[in-house]
Amino acid sequence: MNKKLWVWTLTIILSGSLYLHAADVPFCKQIANYSIDILLDTQQRVIFGEELVTWTNDTAYATDELWFHLYWNAFQNNMSTYLTESSRGRSRTARFERDDWGYCRIEKIDLVQDENFEDIDLKPDMEFRSPDDGNPFDRTVFMVNLPQEIQPGQSITVRIFFKSKVPRPISRTGVYKDNYFIAQWFPKMGVFQNGQWNCHQYHASSEYFADYGTYDVRITVPSQFVIGATGEHRGQTANEDRTITHFFYQHSVHDFAWTASPRLLEYKEDYEFIPGKTTEITLLLQPEHKKLKDRYMNAVKNAIKYSSIFYGDYPYTTATCVDPGYNSRSGGMEYPTFFTGGAYFLTRRGIPSPEGVTIHEFGHGYFYGLVGNNEFENPWMDEGFTSFLDTEVYYAAYGEPVFSKSYFGIPVTFKGVKIPIESDGISRHRQTYNMDQLQRYSWEFMEDESYGANSYSKAELMLRTLKRFLGKDLFAAMIKDYSMRWWFKHPKPKDFYDVVNEYAGEDMSWFLDQLVYGSEKLDYAISDISNTRPTHPKGLFDGEYRDNGKNSKQDIFESEVLVRRLGEVKIPVEVQIVFKNGETIVENWDGLYRWKKFKFNRPSPIVKAVVDPEYKLVLDINRTNNSRKVKPNRLAPLKDVSSWLLWLQHFLELFTLFGG
Amino acid sequence: MVILLFVFNLLFSLILAVPMYTSLEESIGRSEVGDRMVEGFDYIWWEEFRDQSRGIETTFSPSILGKGAVLDNFVHLIHFGETSLPRVILVFGALYILLHTFLSGGIISVLSKDSPLFSIKGFFSAAGKFASRFFLLMILSWILFFSVIAFRYFLYTLVNNVSDTARSEIIPFYLSLISSIFVYVLFLFIQMVFDYARIKTVFEDSRNVLQTTKDAFVFVFKNIGSTMGLFYLLLLTNLALTIVYIILKEIIPQSSAVCIAVVFVIQQMFICSFIWIRCWLYSSQLELYKYLK
Repeated sequence: MNKKLWVWTLTIILSGSLYLHAADVPFCKQIANYSIDILLDTQQRVIFGEELVTWTNDTAYATDELWFHLYWNAFQNNMSTYLTESSRGRSRTARFERDDWGYCRIEKIDLVQDENFEDIDLKPDMEFRSPDDGNPFDRTVFMVNLPQEIQPGQSITVRIFFKSKVPRPISRTGVYKDNYFIAQWFPKMGVFQNGQWNCHQYHASSEYFADYGTYDVRITVPSQFVIGATGEHRGQTANEDRTITHFFYQHSVHDFAWTASPRLLEYKEDYEFIPGKTTEITLLLQPEHKKLKDRYMNAVKNAIKYSSIFYGDYPYTTATCVDPGYNSRSGGMEYPTFFTGGAYFLTRRGIPSPEGVTIHEFGHGYFYGLVGNNEFENPWMDEGFTSFLDTEVYYAAYGEPVFSKSYFGIPVTFKGVKIPIESDGISRHRQTYNMDQLQRYSWEFMEDESYGANSYSKAELMLRTLKRFLGKDLFAAMIKDYSMRWWFKHPKPKDFYDVVNEYAGEDMSWFLDQLVYGSEKLDYAISDISNTRPTHPKGLFDGEYRDNGKNSKQDIFESEVLVRRLGEVKIPVEVQIVFKNGETIVENWDGLYRWKKFKFNRPSPIVKAVVDPEYKLVLDINRTNNSRKVKPNRLAPLKDVSSWLLWLQHFLELFTLFGG
Repeated sequence: MVILLFVFNLLFSLILAVPMYTSLEESIGRSEVGDRMVEGFDYIWWEEFRDQSRGIETTFSPSILGKGAVLDNFVHLIHFGETSLPRVILVFGALYILLHTFLSGGIISVLSKDSPLFSIKGFFSAAGKFASRFFLLMILSWILFFSVIAFRYFLYTLVNNVSDTARSEIIPFYLSLISSIFVYVLFLFIQMVFDYARIKTVFEDSRNVLQTTKDAFVFVFKNIGSTMGLFYLLLLTNLALTIVYIILKEIIPQSSAVCIAVVFVIQQMFICSFIWIRCWLYSSQLELYKYLK
């Protein structure tokens, strides 16, 4: 054969191999690798599984224990920690019948030895633990003692046979009719850190924490089921019993979830979000939402595109978005490369459905997915960062959404009422700011609403305030660096602080500590504006009569602006003062004392003052008092009350139906 | 007469509009929010207002500033008992119903005359004459209205049961919508029957409210086509005027004192037309009653 042809042929073969290998080259150390074979028995609604977990001790400490999560045991009875903490869960399970409860049971757990030795049965050494609250009924954490320590750098393989009973939908997992959404379904290892196992019980307000690794999963389901899961779908084989075994593979992730239903419509599209970088988007839609296909697909594309710009190029080859089934309670949830959206069959342009939740859940692929914070202990580091991400992406891609309201299930938009980005989360924060501080273990918040308000809203507002305080370019560089620096790692709040300090060029703990470890309000206000003419001397002065007012050729106003700090959070602010002749002055105030007066002597009086004119302090709970005009606009309340009057008049006339 | 009724409506409403104005004025204060609210709508201010609102303040939302005012009220009507309205609004609503029941004696009396010359004295005299009977008819109608409300709970329970076992939101949506429409139609039917009961009371000076009610039911069922046709024709007219009002409200900007005044006038004309159609309905029903009797 021609020499040139040989060279080309070899090149092509090698490139192909390289491509194949490149796709499987992990992005990080694979600490906990899972090879799982499962069979979904749809009659019993049970998953039979065999799991091979290979764990590497990547720390400087030895251990003779392995700790695991069994999340579904939170749903096996009403005495679990999860259900005792969750009033919503309890009311849901109050209607559960015998077959509706779920569990994850270990049938067998063996330490795999090499081929020369028999596996060691670890089940006799298996103990359930409740490290958080000592609840004797909680079975969501177990540990096994090992015959010998695993030294730093050593690996260990454990084979687990388990049986997971799929519950009625609860906590974003379960089965409704033939719609299966399966999350947190397998025995999952805890995280060994600093010589200790970090393996919390499943709480009502907590999410998850695990090590990165490779998931090689083979799922056998009835042949009519359409299936979607974390990672790449690498093929399938048809079995004789009218089932199909699907092969999924993904490295460098810390969780694996999947869905199966015969009703799902599957759409795939390769999306080149950056020249040369492509991700395969899989969209699994409910049939009644078929007309939302383009909106869903565009939402995922925008999420990938803008997240890559803001937080680093999306590294995975797949992104699977699932439109959750009605009554499946699986909407609005995230897993690595796999997430659920949420939509209503009637929606309109300008209403962020399904875009809002889709972008948010994709965003979790970055914060918690790539940046693997401990969701038990630092929930704000993923929920807050993702809430920040989703609004930044949504507003960049779609602009401001409009106010909408549903009437008899039909959404009606009010195009004249736009919702600014600054409003996201502030109402929730305003109502809960003094309940808890931002940084708290997820189950230790005063109540569910405080967990949500702090982890999502306050954290988002804190980031937006930081962005405007530092400046958007500096912040953009900082947040992207923080994101990419901590990909495939487990950052703590101090790690975020360090990156902020690095980019700010100073210790920013004075800023961050108030917001992360404090529970005070931020509220600056313009309290008063006064313009007075100076007092001219008039009268007898040492026997001499003076009346300087008559002779003054130029009037000077003595003007004063009183700015107050009504909250306890202290952040330097700017104060803009506008004079009648159009002159504008911007003063700086360190915000430390309770108030500050700015005094001016000018030929023109002050007409308006604004504290924080550029709206940097998004966390300020009362924006209305940030500005003050000498002459208020009296038309506004008149305009609004006249519209309200019409509403009341119409209401009264309509209700005469009940009279005469 | 329409002007008189309109004045009652306006004065009644102004009683609550004054404290509402005060609340808005205090909240907006001297802030720049005032400028933004005249030019459009300041959503961030509204959330602050909403988060600390009490009583009637809780009814102020972006939806009532446009087409939502009418839609909000239909929701309150059909879902009466389920929506959260402040107590003071409910009390005012009840008082207005009582007032209107009293006044409707005067309305029908004026319309029933061969040459309906309106005099304030005659109007109130007639209203007073028929007041006790009209109040009794109102009580009877309430029994039926509350029966429909109870039936509505049953309907919604059925819809919820269907929803709990449905595969998609579509069937529950349509069932819920049909239920709401059905409840509204029942409400309108009861209103129509009692309109004829009131007409019969005035026209024939009937004294036995139970017999009058029974006769009204018989009359309506015997002439179902005519009575329903007339009623829904005027309802459609009302709907058309409502749509015209909504369009005008949406297209006229209210960014100046003149435009605010113009829109205020249009709003009041809309309320006036609403009242005028009610009187027109009574008049038409009266003529139909006379004709068919």
